[in-house]
Amino acid sequence: MSGDYTLRGLSVPESLDQLHDLLQQVAEEHESVEATDLMLFETAVIEIAGNVVEHGRPHGNVAWTFDLAVLPDRLAAVLSDDGQAYDLDEEQMADGRWAMPEDTFAEDGRGLALASVALDELDYQRTGGINSWTMVRLRREVAQP
Amino acid sequence: MSTIEVRTEGRQAVVTGPPRLNMTAAPQLREVLAQTVAHGSPQIVVDLGGTTFVDSSGLGALVGGLKTARQAGGDLRLAAVSDQVMTVLTLTSLHRVLRPFPTVEDASREW
Repeated sequence: MSGDYTLRGLSVPESLDQLHDLLQQVAEEHESVEATDLMLFETAVIEIAGNVVEHGRPHGNVAWTFDLAVLPDRLAAVLSDDGQAYDLDEEQMADGRWAMPEDTFAEDGRGLALASVALDELDYQRTGGINSWTMVRLRREVAQP
Repeated sequence: MSTIEVRTEGRQAVVTGPPRLNMTAAPQLREVLAQTVAHGSPQIVVDLGGTTFVDSSGLGALVGGLKTARQAGGDLRLAAVSDQVMTVLTLTSLHRVLRPFPTVEDASREW
């Protein structure tokens, strides 16, 4: 996907700050985008990117490309990386979404679930040695006072 | 440089959250909370007034701190949460156990 914004680099923790900064830039350059839409989109992007940082192999040496487009009806992004394929736990899927951990006091396992509920579309594909996460949030109408 | 500060007063402590509580800051917060409880202050208020963003690793650190605090007879409460933090707490249903209070002062009453 070619987008309005592109970021390339290694999937290391420091790159997450670059993603935060990029989304801040999007907010400043697209004032018409609802703050809630961008906030939830940013939440999902950081979860997916954090997942790649944590689980991407070879660890610390996975190159990624992030493309983001601001469209009239949606925010869309694709995060692609050249790491190994992910072994996703499909059992955690329900109705096309990842479920929250059953244990309220679990200390991990919420990332994909949180990204799922923040987005309208979350899709993972492995094609030609490249992992691609597609993230879409439909822009909500602003309620007029 | 640490952006997580701790003020202790007897069994009570106020821990100031980092600007972005993501996977770069979460391990440090987890360690600070564990040390605070270990040093005898299990009644912890995490002041998130300066924290604009939390992710699932940050939530994990807070849940870990909550469990450690409760095991020591205390609790962990959140204060001054941002819109993003409140939204994430609600989406994960964690607002039921990580109770958000408007201010540090409100959170510090009636342990």
